[in-house]
Amino acid sequence: MTRTHCPYCSLQCGMVLEGRRALEVQPWPEFPVNEGALCRKGWTATGLRGHRERLTTPLVRDRATGELRATGWDEALDLVAGRLRELQQRYGADAVGVFGGGGLTNEKAYQLGKLARVALGTSQVDYNGRWCMSSAASAANRAFGVDRGLPFPLADVEHTDVLVLVGSNLAETMPPAARHLDRLRENGGHVVVVDPRRTPTADRADTFLQPVPGTDLALALGVLHLLDSAGAVDEQYVAARTTGWPAVQRAVSAWWPERVERVTGIPSAEVRTLATRLAAAERVMVLTARGAEQHAQGTDTVLAWIDVALTLGMPGRRYAGYGCLTGQGNGQGGREHGQKADQLPGYRMIDDPAARAHVARVWGVDPETLPGQGRSAYELLDALGTDSGPKALLVFGSNIVVSAPNASHVAERLGALDLLVVADLVMSETAAIADVVLPVTQWAEETGTMTNLEGRVVLRQQAVEPPAGVRSDLEVMAGLAARLGHDFATDPEEVFAELGRASAGGRADYSAITYDRIREEHGVFWAGPRLFEERFAHEDGRARFVAVEHRGPAEPVDPAYPVHLTTGRVLAQYQSGAQTRRVRALPDDGPFVEIHPMLADRIGAYDGRPVVVTTRRGELKAPARVVDTIRPDTVFVPFHWVGANRLTNDALDPSSRMPEFKVCAAAVTA
Amino acid sequence: MPYDVLVLATGSIPTLPPIRGLVQLDGRLDERVHAFRSLADCLRLDAAVPAARSAVVVGGGLLGLQVARALAVRGLATEVVEGGDHLLRGQVDAKAGAILARDLRRLGTAVYTGARATRLTGAGLVLDNGYTLDTDLVVLTAGGRPSTALARRAGLDVRRGVVVDALLRTSDPAIHAIGDCAQFGDQVTGFVPPAWEQAALLARHLDGEPVEYAGARTVARLRATDLDVAVLGDPERADGQVVEVSNPVTGSHRKLVVRDGVIVGATLVGDLSRIGLITQHYDRGTVLGPHEPGDLLRNERVAPPVALPDDAEVCTCAGVSAGRVRACGSLDEARDTTRATTGCGGCTAAVRELVMEGAPV
Repeated sequence: MTRTHCPYCSLQCGMVLEGRRALEVQPWPEFPVNEGALCRKGWTATGLRGHRERLTTPLVRDRATGELRATGWDEALDLVAGRLRELQQRYGADAVGVFGGGGLTNEKAYQLGKLARVALGTSQVDYNGRWCMSSAASAANRAFGVDRGLPFPLADVEHTDVLVLVGSNLAETMPPAARHLDRLRENGGHVVVVDPRRTPTADRADTFLQPVPGTDLALALGVLHLLDSAGAVDEQYVAARTTGWPAVQRAVSAWWPERVERVTGIPSAEVRTLATRLAAAERVMVLTARGAEQHAQGTDTVLAWIDVALTLGMPGRRYAGYGCLTGQGNGQGGREHGQKADQLPGYRMIDDPAARAHVARVWGVDPETLPGQGRSAYELLDALGTDSGPKALLVFGSNIVVSAPNASHVAERLGALDLLVVADLVMSETAAIADVVLPVTQWAEETGTMTNLEGRVVLRQQAVEPPAGVRSDLEVMAGLAARLGHDFATDPEEVFAELGRASAGGRADYSAITYDRIREEHGVFWAGPRLFEERFAHEDGRARFVAVEHRGPAEPVDPAYPVHLTTGRVLAQYQSGAQTRRVRALPDDGPFVEIHPMLADRIGAYDGRPVVVTTRRGELKAPARVVDTIRPDTVFVPFHWVGANRLTNDALDPSSRMPEFKVCAAAVTA
Repeated sequence: MPYDVLVLATGSIPTLPPIRGLVQLDGRLDERVHAFRSLADCLRLDAAVPAARSAVVVGGGLLGLQVARALAVRGLATEVVEGGDHLLRGQVDAKAGAILARDLRRLGTAVYTGARATRLTGAGLVLDNGYTLDTDLVVLTAGGRPSTALARRAGLDVRRGVVVDALLRTSDPAIHAIGDCAQFGDQVTGFVPPAWEQAALLARHLDGEPVEYAGARTVARLRATDLDVAVLGDPERADGQVVEVSNPVTGSHRKLVVRDGVIVGATLVGDLSRIGLITQHYDRGTVLGPHEPGDLLRNERVAPPVALPDDAEVCTCAGVSAGRVRACGSLDEARDTTRATTGCGGCTAAVRELVMEGAPV
């Protein structure tokens, strides 16, 4: 019997794996986050084990035939290391790029950053977390001086008075979390859901607001306007614990409810009711997720909702405040330990000389040798194969071809590389176009830590031996590092201890956390379960109000593309679907287009019959799902399959570099 | 002061209606009389409200109705005097105006339409229909006119407002005009949003961007407690086909003016349930299908609950159908064999019910 955690989302539900060969998932009722509950993805998580599509031998593309052929590990790693060195000698250190993922364990994320900075000496390292919660991260850093998804345990949700979920469909994306909503309501609390779709989460809410995609920011400004004009600002808190309110007050004076209505499509009466409810509540909790964050104005949207929480005096108060519901399994830890272009382990900034000196000391290198800040995820991909961009890319834990925005363009850039190396469990769409494919272990076959959406560091423990021929990512990295003249550890606990030393004194300090403590305490929160009770993480101890303005989507609708397109998830699939689409027990019906009956009638679409969605970047043909739960001016496509992201816009948030996945202009025809 | 580019944003000036006695011999307004244009006007009125018991609002336009409702909500006996034959005559038709008058009366506010105030005396405000309204406050909301004196003296082309072209230029290409003082085509606006829009567009033009002004898309929203009115564009003068639903039973009157599938004007009175969506379509010039305008005015109905068919998914977390749950003898059995209720827990009540259904009686 092995206690471990689900391989998918950021909830990191505890589960027990039984059996040596045929693994079986059993509940782990004592683990507090999910108390034994799991969704069908969790119950069926072992379905990918021993799947016939598992990769079990390194593959190298044959120059003569263009086909991938099996080879040995030494040959594959020799080849990769040799080509990397060659390209770096010819074009410089930055000719090699490294691309990580928010699903990698902390140990792997840490080691990947070290591989880039020490063994390869490249600044060109980033990861798919940029496409996940980077806007919330950038906003929280500005407002609070630290970025931890939830600054309190998730179960605190049950004890607040009003919970506002902005752009979260947690009932489908992390179902066990929805139990907390139900308990909150049993306790007399009120749930508000803001979403362009009336999702299963909205069905469990007391209040549902349905804005035009890309206008959550304007709604927040309208709420701030009403709170201020109603005299509901917590003046004492604002004076004692924050700075910057006057600028926000001035900025929101122009956002009266009827203007908000015109921008958001939410009737002004609903905006007023929401503000009245928030003003009257003793405890308010605002949680954002991808719906609010995956926009070219995502950071500002989050900042505006943080302003709402600060105006009401909530952050730092028990059972209240602001938080982000992180998406990927290790979305939190993945952004803390150095696989991000601008960061070193412990959430240290790479341009901070003291941070460089500390990390260089742990790594035993001269701080001068550490490269500076590289390109963000999309910019890195956009530069591949160009004169100044990387000529080789190493990919760990990401299926870029499916998950990148403007995916056709990204696939083209990948095609322009001299060398694409992909480490994965299965032949993902990205692995399928690689020059070298390296088969790696999956969750039940390895040990490592993940940091869930609460900042709770949990331990994934190995339950079974991996199939013969498969290596762990840590072993792959060590193999490459060795060939480049560096000695990297492969034992996860050893790597974790090194990570602890490297993170010591940083914003996300893991130095006091050990595997034993995690086992004993059901996970360990870095910096403790609740932040901000005494002070915020800025030097002056205060939170910062930031005045922001609504700009609207980067690509507004127009006569040629008159409909908003938004994207998201379905319950039975996860991310690019590379894993879940291969689990037989999970339904895989392919993509579909959610469309309102009025729009269906306009274009002559029928439920179940195909429609074509076109944007300036690509098109997708999929069956229509005619439902009255979506706005009539909007269509929705899930992103787990190739196609949705051929449509999405690669406009980036100026601060987080988050692409605008959640809204672009589209045309729909039957 | 020399300039390369000059922007006129002189706004509008309130007009006093031709009522004798508004202005005292010393040239100041009668103490009871309040204009309603500037912040100072509002503050003065606000200060006068606590001591007042009654008010007459002159003007039954958007502003007049808002003020009337605000005063009534604060406990003043309020009356509205409108010279035209129905309320909001600048924006809506007689039918909508009649519904509004009825609503106002229901809310306790007297409405006199087709009546002109002629004189203010010690006894009150005298109307041309013979009534004299005894009142503590007289609030004038009868509008303003573009402030064009400077433009006229400068020899610019001025009609109602300073005439501007699609680049917001006056007849002197170095001089622009925006906001309430400007006239584009036949359009003189009196709201903030078009002025902002013009300011933003002019800034882009002056920055060298190739932009053109196509006229304001105004959405006039009555901000008054318990009076629901929205007017999009100029529905009484817009050219197009009218799709209209009037329901005196519920006190709602809604009409869309549609040209080539595009909403070019709309009046919504008494029912704003679709205001957000209709405004989006109007602002974006969405080309609607032939049934859509009608659908937009239809009331949304929620389908009644029906018995779940066996193939309906009850537990989405575990993917369990109603049939599979019905086959189970108890909640525990359903949980253990199908995993239903083990995810988000939202289906627990439904599963319990289905299990009961299947249980032998």
